[in-house]
Amino acid sequence: MASTEGFVEADNAEAIITRIEHKSRKIESLLKQSKPVEALKTALEGSPPKTRDERCKSANWIVVHRALMAIKDVEGLLSSLDAEYYDILMKYLYRGLSTGDRPTCDQCLRIHEKLTERAGLGCILRCLADTVNTV
Amino acid sequence: MTAIAVNQFAQSITCHAWGPDHSMVAFCPNNNEVHIYRLSQDKWEKVHVLEKHDQIVSGIDWSPRSNRIVTASHDRNSYVWNLEGSEWVPTLVILRLNRAALCVQWSPKENKFAVGSGAKTVCICYYEQENNWWVSKLIRKRHDSSVTSVAWHPNNILLATTSADGKCRIFSTFIKGVDTKDSRTGPSSDSKFGEQIVQLDLSFSWAFGVKWSPSGDTLAYVGHNSMIYFVDEIGPSPLAQNVAFRDLPLRDVLFVSERMVIGVGFDCNPMVFAADQRGIWSFIRFLGERKTISSGSKYGSQFSEAFGKLYGQSKHGLSNDAVEPSRSRGGIHDNCINCILPLRRSGISTVMRFSTSGLDGKVVIWDLENQADLSEYL
Repeated sequence: MASTEGFVEADNAEAIITRIEHKSRKIESLLKQSKPVEALKTALEGSPPKTRDERCKSANWIVVHRALMAIKDVEGLLSSLDAEYYDILMKYLYRGLSTGDRPTCDQCLRIHEKLTERAGLGCILRCLADTVNTV
Repeated sequence: MTAIAVNQFAQSITCHAWGPDHSMVAFCPNNNEVHIYRLSQDKWEKVHVLEKHDQIVSGIDWSPRSNRIVTASHDRNSYVWNLEGSEWVPTLVILRLNRAALCVQWSPKENKFAVGSGAKTVCICYYEQENNWWVSKLIRKRHDSSVTSVAWHPNNILLATTSADGKCRIFSTFIKGVDTKDSRTGPSSDSKFGEQIVQLDLSFSWAFGVKWSPSGDTLAYVGHNSMIYFVDEIGPSPLAQNVAFRDLPLRDVLFVSERMVIGVGFDCNPMVFAADQRGIWSFIRFLGERKTISSGSKYGSQFSEAFGKLYGQSKHGLSNDAVEPSRSRGGIHDNCINCILPLRRSGISTVMRFSTSGLDGKVVIWDLENQADLSEYL
């Protein structure tokens, strides 16, 4: 599909990929310091929903996935995660569930339950209703 | 207690409207009829049935001063009903639509009404004395999908619409010979009929339930993504605020004052939104009884089963057993609320009482008196 106004053009995609690679290195180091929550925050920051470029979306999903799977204490994660991240995290949980991969789904369901308790059904609605800013 | 009267009038109600002194209510019981009830000696009695439409009546509005009822229906027609003697006499309004009419509202001066439709159009209807009929003028452009709601600005010229394409638009409806030049003020000062003043592109899903504040300075509408939007300084550069909330989406809104809005919808319980001193809008609380939050019935009946399946076998049995059917939410409405109307006392711009109706067939009257925490916003 042709990109419309306001969406990042294809040549910007390279810049986004570079940024994601940079983010990926930062996340690895945060995980080594056993700061999984910080890692997930970094992964969610600057997620590229405003592009139709699937490579960017996949690249960012890989780093989010990496950080997501390192989460052990879900309650701890959600209490230290700001409410502004809830909607974007929910979108990535649904992306995780759509992979069908057993360990990923288990982890996503675990977080989904706690996130729904905290952020409500409205958070799910916003995630399902938004067909434009997909992750 | 905020709900002062609960009346179960039908199985399901699509819309309702109040007579001039609030002693009569008209509603559509989810069919092609409009029933009018009157309150006499603390009991509601059915006094009229308006039968003329062929399909579901989707909109009713009752003008407070001229005592006329306008109805809009999925049969693509509108009727204006006049009380002659003890009978309501219908006048057909040919809307020239090829899809269902979805909503209708009288203008503040009651000389025009607007009909939103599934044909991606808005009809502005006005009375032509010489021909003795209501003429419909169409705004055909701009809408990319069904028009779900219409709202008149207090100046009788500007009309706000929401559409299933997610956008909220504001049009000028100036009609020569009906409106006078001096009634044009603000951003509509030199615009022709059907001219779009502004298009608000805030929602990514269906938009519903648009309303103006009593002064006409602020506009509020809702999206089907559990968001409510507040817009100030309508014009070339509007100021918008998006408020996300944690519960199910809204269907309709009502300004009770400049700084307080009641939203109703799929959560079955009216929500209160208010603006603080700096003008920042936020969700305050539910108006009805608090929902009892226990581990078993967290999400009410519709959701618990699905959630049980989602979260795996072990929880499935538990969440199913813990929830009683339909009443588990503990609210006054048992189903989606799709209509909210002010019960205004003449001369007072703040609305202290309002009514809601919904798919559960109830018409509920609410009172904001004695709500200590809300009084600062009224």
